[in-house]
Amino acid sequence: MQNEKIQVVKPMNGRERVLAALRNEPTDRTPICNPTSVATVELMDLVDAPFPQANREPELMARLAATGYTELGFDTIMPVFTIIQESSALGCKIQWEQKDNWPTVKMREPIWEDVDDINIPNNFLTHPDTQCVLEAIKILKKEYGDEVAVIGKTMGPWSLGYHCFGVEPFLLLSLDDPGKTKLALDRMKEATVQFGIAQIEAGADALTLPDHATGDLVSGEYYKRFLRDLHIEFVERIPIPLILHICGHTVDRMEYIAQTGMAAFHFDSKNEPKESMDIVQKRIALVGNINNPETLFAKEPEDVKAEVVKNLEAGVPLIGPECAIPLQTTIENLQEIPKAVQEWHKAQL
Amino acid sequence: MTSIVNIGRRIELVPIDPHFNDITIALYLQQQGERAVFRVHTYSRIEGAATRIRDVVQSMKILGGMQETADGMLYFPCGERHEAACRRVFLEACKLPPNTSAEPRPLRTLDKKSKLIITVDSVGNGTYRVRSDGEGRSAERRISAIAGGLIKLGEMNAVQDNEGDSVVFPCGHSHDALVGLLLVRAPNVRVIMREEEAGAARGVLAAPSQQT
Repeated sequence: MQNEKIQVVKPMNGRERVLAALRNEPTDRTPICNPTSVATVELMDLVDAPFPQANREPELMARLAATGYTELGFDTIMPVFTIIQESSALGCKIQWEQKDNWPTVKMREPIWEDVDDINIPNNFLTHPDTQCVLEAIKILKKEYGDEVAVIGKTMGPWSLGYHCFGVEPFLLLSLDDPGKTKLALDRMKEATVQFGIAQIEAGADALTLPDHATGDLVSGEYYKRFLRDLHIEFVERIPIPLILHICGHTVDRMEYIAQTGMAAFHFDSKNEPKESMDIVQKRIALVGNINNPETLFAKEPEDVKAEVVKNLEAGVPLIGPECAIPLQTTIENLQEIPKAVQEWHKAQL
Repeated sequence: MTSIVNIGRRIELVPIDPHFNDITIALYLQQQGERAVFRVHTYSRIEGAATRIRDVVQSMKILGGMQETADGMLYFPCGERHEAACRRVFLEACKLPPNTSAEPRPLRTLDKKSKLIITVDSVGNGTYRVRSDGEGRSAERRISAIAGGLIKLGEMNAVQDNEGDSVVFPCGHSHDALVGLLLVRAPNVRVIMREEEAGAARGVLAAPSQQT
């Protein structure tokens, strides 16, 4: 099948390749796509754009993100390294950390207790931490927009619920009062839509939409009950390819995810590529699956290559890490992803 | 397009150097013919970064008894990797502030746990014997534990035909400076391992459900 694609499709640049794959169209080769961060401490040094500043200053954010293309050889640039930009704009307290660690929301100090507390501030899109993303996307679009796909990110309401209510209170609310939970999601979804549309206007080619109904805490039925219809609504209201991201074991909800009309699902290495492809049946593209904490972080390039090949053999249409990579990941392991994809395609000729 | 060149396999990383502008310093391993060589490297291009790397290289030469090639690569005189030991030399060298002259560590140390003075004697062919200034079962246990620490930190082997107090480098060569450096950490090897695990866990993103 891949052989046929290689023979009939004219050479593409990274942007064309990624967007074609997200539309389920043939590509000249499998695109290498990072819907989440590929920033590392060494890349930060290379372009003098360290965390936490690279999460707060647009020029640094753009410069660091661009290394995914210029240094690693990915077909995408994704500048939204963290999952906290919009939560900061909503009023959450942020632990910004140092160069070698991720900023996090202080979820033990939630900002909302009740559905009626939910409020998307008027300055949500002009807050420095959302503005930073919008400005970085503009910079990247101007500099690289003809060659490579610029991917933004807008957090889904389930993730925002964890951040703004706290994980435990939000999960308890979903058990005790499903109606109120749906109302909360319905109100928070406007932040997702607003930030998504603002990124499209800034020049994003596609958006990652993380909504952490993760396999460890939330069942597939929960996903169906609370999120499937909301995700269908996002596809209707945010006119750009959307890449849903949910960590963990998610095969129990992939059927429902495939029904949403999302362009792609960014899936975790806890899911078998072949089994996952069999479930989604080309209704939705899959991307990701290269293991972070064990393979990319702690193993060797040949181990990375083996996982890349496993995904290619399963027909996964976009290859990349399963989630934001550990900040101490070696550059050689990251460079192995595009190398392995290209070698595999050459071997198919 | 890329400005990154292949400089070998990265075997250790100091993500933040507190002594010089929080730059990241890494240790890379290459094989040059029969000889394993190490490169201390930073991708930082800020002024003074190269000097900081030179400082670390100089410290590693003293602390680990290493030698340097014309192009600034480090190696052990025996030509072997001693990878775990070299990682430890690198980490210790990075702890030294700039303009601090490193001193080789002595082959004796105070074991804080037992209050004994521990001495390591080189007995030739890469073999070292651990002894203390005390006697009894407690001293024997500490000697055995410290020998075990050296084995772990230095990828050394236990010498089988004795009382658990001797260890040997597989290369069969003496590495006094290296043993002196490892001896400081050998009494607390578990703590060292835990610190390394905690350090490695930093920067691994957890899903919101796993965060606090």
